[in-house]
Amino acid sequence: MLQWTNLDVFRGETQVLWGVCLYIKAGERVAVLGSNGAGKSTLLGATMGAIEPKGGDIAFKGISLKGMRPHQIVRMGLAIVPEGRRIYKDMSVWENLQMGAYPRRGRHLLAESADIICELFPVLRERRDQRAGTLSGGEQQMLAIGRALMSRPEVLLIDELSLGLAPIITRQIFKALDALPGETTILMVEQNVEQALKHSARAYVLESGRVVRSGPSVELARDDHIRKAYLGL
Amino acid sequence: MNGVVIGVIYALAALGVSLVVGIMNVINFAHGELYILAGYFSFLFADALGWNMYLSLAVAVFLVFLFGIFIEYILIRPTYGNEMYSLILTFILSIVLQNAYLLIFGPYPNKPPTWIKGATEVFGLFFYGNQRLAALVVGAFVITAVFLVIKLTWFGKIVRAASQDREMAELNGVNTLYLNMLSFGLGCALAGAAGVILAPVFPVTPTAGVQVALTAFVVVVLGGMGSLWGCVVGGLVLGLVENLGAAFLSTGYKHIFGFIILILVLLIRPAGLFGRKEI
Ligand SMILES: Nc1ncnc2c1ncn2[C@@H]1O[C@H](COP(=O)(O)OP(=O)(O)OP(=O)(O)O)[C@@H](O)[C@H]1O
Ligand SMILES: [Mg+2]
Repeated sequence: MLQWTNLDVFRGETQVLWGVCLYIKAGERVAVLGSNGAGKSTLLGATMGAIEPKGGDIAFKGISLKGMRPHQIVRMGLAIVPEGRRIYKDMSVWENLQMGAYPRRGRHLLAESADIICELFPVLRERRDQRAGTLSGGEQQMLAIGRALMSRPEVLLIDELSLGLAPIITRQIFKALDALPGETTILMVEQNVEQALKHSARAYVLESGRVVRSGPSVELARDDHIRKAYLGL
Repeated sequence: MNGVVIGVIYALAALGVSLVVGIMNVINFAHGELYILAGYFSFLFADALGWNMYLSLAVAVFLVFLFGIFIEYILIRPTYGNEMYSLILTFILSIVLQNAYLLIFGPYPNKPPTWIKGATEVFGLFFYGNQRLAALVVGAFVITAVFLVIKLTWFGKIVRAASQDREMAELNGVNTLYLNMLSFGLGCALAGAAGVILAPVFPVTPTAGVQVALTAFVVVVLGGMGSLWGCVVGGLVLGLVENLGAAFLSTGYKHIFGFIILILVLLIRPAGLFGRKEI
């Protein structure tokens, strides 16, 4: 579905990603793990076209995304739940969802998608006309996920779902993602290694911009290095 | 009464500035010259070419809209990421336009035909020029239309989204370059609308735009950068204060009152009446 090959990405003068290679197949749930500054957000930013890679390639269904602007990539079928959620605080919950459905494919199915999302996160239906800025952190994260799903993406990228959320809320949202129909491909970037491994089939470990480990999540959960460095065991 | 009419026009002119500031973070120094341009166009079409008055108003505003899109494409687009450049470029543009007007139309005031003649008795209290009343009605109508578009349409939604977080809007599939172009054009068209509405009352001269733009900026700051409601309230406040001040104290200090109000408001609310804190 999506393939990253030898990706080199710079932030200003400094190289942040070094020859990163990943892939994700249709319908797969894959996690990218790494500590602060490992380059996880940079990877997603490059994928969405917000940051231009210096080298390597990113291909979606065999089509290179290089040189495309974010809105074009979104229209091809990718969507992102950005770091820090970035919901439109001054707009209502409903308008935030509508914004997610802005790409043509989303607009046709607006009512249907809204139903699916409110099924997934019933709070959003209750808060429909409330100003989004007044939602709690967890509700904002649900809204950010809902907004991304409104475009009916084939691939959903999620940047640090657990950021700043209580463990119980984090678990609840991960469960909701598990309940999504199987055809949604999800790449999640996480510092919460335990949860991410539990809710993904495969995972990559990113350290200082390089992929240092990869494999099925169950195996990585047993890996000594990962247990020491990320799970504190 | 005069205060309300002027206030509505101030609001209209400021709305264009505010829209562009909110979405693009660009201040268009040539805003006043576009107001004047629309005035000249409507004069040219209606007076010199003898077109139907309403047609010439509409064409004038539309041409200013196209001109705005052209300016965005040629001058503003290459400067994204550096607000200083766009400031300087539009400043130069305003001077170039002023001189062009001087060359083409001469230094004399030009006045398009009035829409309606006569005066009406208002609330049985006093007589008021019909042309000014018409300006008030049309101005209020345009402002209402702008608000409805912003509140109810897809275009309005993406405008609001992009002025809160333009990167995120792009990540929701909005072509923000195209949005910039359109909203810059629209901002200019609003200046143009104010121009054609007011030109029959206050004739246009090559440099009359300076005062208009200055007032529009004062209104924008007064109302809060990028806040559209702020423009309406700010415009009305300014219009009323200037006219009441002029009526009760002295006409000579008319514009001073506006600045005093501005300073007072900014002392109490540094972000303006409706401004967001972080700006
Ligand atoms: N806008 C920027 N300009 C310059 N350097 C940046 C910028 N954003 C991030 N960086 C640098 O790039 C590196 C990777 O950042 P990135 O945000 O991708 O990390 P991350 O893995 O997402 O971290 P976190 O878990 O804190 O979100 C960091 O060293 C950071 O300092
Ligand atoms: Mg990050």
